[in-house]
Amino acid sequence: MTRFLLRRTGSAVVLVLVLTAVVFVLQAVSPGDPVKAYLGNNASPAAIAAQRQALGLNDPLPVQYFHYIVHALQGNLGMSLRTRRPVMADLHDFLPATVELVAVAFVLALLLGSLYAVSGSLRWPGGAFFRGPLLVLATAPPFLLALGGIILFYAQLQVLPAAGRGVDSTGPSGFVLIDSILGGDATEFVAGVQHLVLPAVILSIAPSISIGRILRSSLDSTLASDYVRTARSKGLRPIVVLGKHVVRNSLGPGLSMAGLQLGFMFAGVVVVEQVFSWPGIGNYLAASIPTSDFPAIAGVTLVLGIIYIVANALVDVLQALADPRLNA
Amino acid sequence: MSATDEKAPAASIANLTVALTRDGVRAEVLRGVDLKIQRGEIVGLVGESGSGKSVLALALMGLLPSSSRPETTGTITIAGTDMIDGSAEQIRAVRRHELGVIFQDPMTSLNPTMRVGRQITEATGDKAESLRLMSAVGIQDAALRFTVYPHELSGGLRQRIMAAIASAGRPSLIIADEPTTALDVTVQAQVLDLLRQLRDEFGCSVVLITHDLAVAAQIADRIAVLYAGRIAELGPADVVLREPTHPYTVGLLNSRLALDTPRDTVLQTLRPETATVAERMRGCAYSSRCPLADDTCRAQQPPLLAVDGSGAVDGSEHVRACWRDAATVRELALTRSDAPRILVSGSSTESAAPAVVVEGVHQRFVVRSGGRKREVHALRGIDLTIGAGEAVSIVGESGSGKSTLLRAIAGLVPVTSGRVDVARGGAQMVFQDAGSSLTPWLSVGEILGERLLPLRLGKTETAARVTTALEAIGLPASVSRVRPADLSGGQRQRVALARATMIPPAVLLCDEPTSALDASLAASVLNLIRGMREELSMTVLFVTHDLSVARLMGDRVVVMTEGRIVEDGTADQVIHHPEHPYTRSLLASVPEIEAVR
Repeated sequence: MTRFLLRRTGSAVVLVLVLTAVVFVLQAVSPGDPVKAYLGNNASPAAIAAQRQALGLNDPLPVQYFHYIVHALQGNLGMSLRTRRPVMADLHDFLPATVELVAVAFVLALLLGSLYAVSGSLRWPGGAFFRGPLLVLATAPPFLLALGGIILFYAQLQVLPAAGRGVDSTGPSGFVLIDSILGGDATEFVAGVQHLVLPAVILSIAPSISIGRILRSSLDSTLASDYVRTARSKGLRPIVVLGKHVVRNSLGPGLSMAGLQLGFMFAGVVVVEQVFSWPGIGNYLAASIPTSDFPAIAGVTLVLGIIYIVANALVDVLQALADPRLNA
Repeated sequence: MSATDEKAPAASIANLTVALTRDGVRAEVLRGVDLKIQRGEIVGLVGESGSGKSVLALALMGLLPSSSRPETTGTITIAGTDMIDGSAEQIRAVRRHELGVIFQDPMTSLNPTMRVGRQITEATGDKAESLRLMSAVGIQDAALRFTVYPHELSGGLRQRIMAAIASAGRPSLIIADEPTTALDVTVQAQVLDLLRQLRDEFGCSVVLITHDLAVAAQIADRIAVLYAGRIAELGPADVVLREPTHPYTVGLLNSRLALDTPRDTVLQTLRPETATVAERMRGCAYSSRCPLADDTCRAQQPPLLAVDGSGAVDGSEHVRACWRDAATVRELALTRSDAPRILVSGSSTESAAPAVVVEGVHQRFVVRSGGRKREVHALRGIDLTIGAGEAVSIVGESGSGKSTLLRAIAGLVPVTSGRVDVARGGAQMVFQDAGSSLTPWLSVGEILGERLLPLRLGKTETAARVTTALEAIGLPASVSRVRPADLSGGQRQRVALARATMIPPAVLLCDEPTSALDASLAASVLNLIRGMREELSMTVLFVTHDLSVARLMGDRVVVMTEGRIVEDGTADQVIHHPEHPYTRSLLASVPEIEAVR
């Protein structure tokens, strides 16, 4: 198991290095001049030349790449051309909102997906009344769902808010739900939940179908397997057969799909954040692209890439834990 | 054991009829089966695939698959519980306390992600008891093996784990569904011994389901022969085997390949089924294949009656369902059909260049399992020369390297070192599983026509050649429009054979082509290969795990174990005067029916 973990960590590190190389090239070829971002447009040519030298921009590219990695490791991702602040500081402000939204949506996707799979495989009566609407909703693009959700729940029913996180989170974690619990503030918690519900549900629907369908087909084949027949022949109760023999052996494909979907959710969050004015990196990214703010774009890319790689490495580890044949 | 009457049978099945719906077609799989399994007896339930024997096993456990919408009438009573209409709770209690099961494939029948100790303990409820059972079924170092996963054990050990699960809680009945079919012969003998030992020590009854009469002959007290969902013949094992009174039993016994089957005649087979399902439902189901069938047989279903004419059936005597009198059937058993002689040796031409030369071949694979790499040395220095026109059998157990050698000769895998030469014309291969070696979405005609592509024959000529090839394997030309999935297992294997021999290769390589087929079907495919060999004077290399098949298919028999050839000689030499201890141990494990015929 330790060998497997080391190998998996090793390959994740290689992937991150490749990713930083891509991001570095993106920055190096970007039209903006980081020096002007530091000094402002009115700086003298001499000052600019000195600053270039100081920033190492006259060094050969490989040396610059090395410095870029060293800086990234120290938490320095350069200056944003648009906000004129360090990209790291921007990410620190905007990332928690996105992580909170995606995390809640991901948990929802897992729950809905599992419900979809189990209700189908075990032929729960009435399960079709859940799976049908979910399938229909998943065919609509997220922005349409978001607009429809706002019209229905905000404009018509007036039960949910339409924009923002409900609070200006200044707490220690940056997550509204966690900060409000830490601060013992019930009103803030309720407001946080109310603001989260609609975007999170909309973000979770398409991934829940992907996860649910994969999980259902692997549940079906596990239920038909010889060892499940053996478990039944032992006279075990159906719930024990399900819990101890069926679920664990069916998790593999579902876990893979969940890892992939988590990555897609971070990418797809841009649209949902725009519609709901969610103060996260999706919105930050959307503002950075028109102004060609490459340091900011590169920073967001790097962070999302790392999250994606870590999530999938985690999935591999979970799969190895679920199936001893993978690390024999 | 429950506190029921000691004299009550372990299980009693009365007038059991089961209909299953598969692919939208409803069919009666069992039709009026009556069977009492007495305490402490071993009943061998013998039948070909499709006879309903596995469905009977599932019905006994109350585990008929709900996906095939079973409709059941009649009764199954185990320990006073109705296994058909009883509550789910009651049936589960019977499974837990009264029944044990051993399935065919111990690899797929054990949960791959659960340690074997836990799987046993699920049934015993107690670790100490599990360890005791593991020792009782012959697992050494039980404490060490307790924490391993199934894939870390050999096939034989896995089946012992299944046996430990089956014997948990001192069941009154153990159901073993083809428990040895997936295992090597030497392991098969051990598992059969184990079943007998479980009966002797725990006093439980055993239902042993098998397609091989000889396997049942090893340990069964009584044998029930099942045909098309009905019991054809039932009686004490030695009586049924020595004095069979149903033509089907006789046919099964005659088509069985043994170490003394004559090598120079066409192998005996049962007639192929020609009747439609509706016709079979009317009279005796076997009538369309029976050499003795008359009008009564075709019109009325025969009742199951005592052979000695005593009428009453209480379960212990010899009964059969046949209209013809026992003496006539006995004659059928004694007169071996006048099978035409065929030439099986001497076709090898010494002067011609050899068809296959294998010199100093080594084959190493790197097996990657999770983090670790492991090297498997599958072939360890093989030297083998096969003359043109020669027929050679390679025998060995799983893991001996016999299939790897065949693949190396076929050129499917490059060898690590050494030399493999095949004469002009190349090698063609027939695989064990014909179903998966034929492309499912192509028609038989397209599959066969594909082989002719390099000849650039044109449409009509190709079609004509395909028809000829189908005729040669005994299939009508209309089969060329059919897809492989619509053919039976035997027909598929014939098509695979036609594909391999349409353009005669320098050597025909056969990798266990009959091991998935019923005895009679296997014999007919073997006949076909032998006939083709004679006709086309083809070189044949036949890989099998079955010594009696090896003897029939090869003038020369080569024995392999652990990647080496340990014996190489004429068929008679190897079978009757084996020199290597491994060959002797293989021969000793072959199940035989003694003194029949």
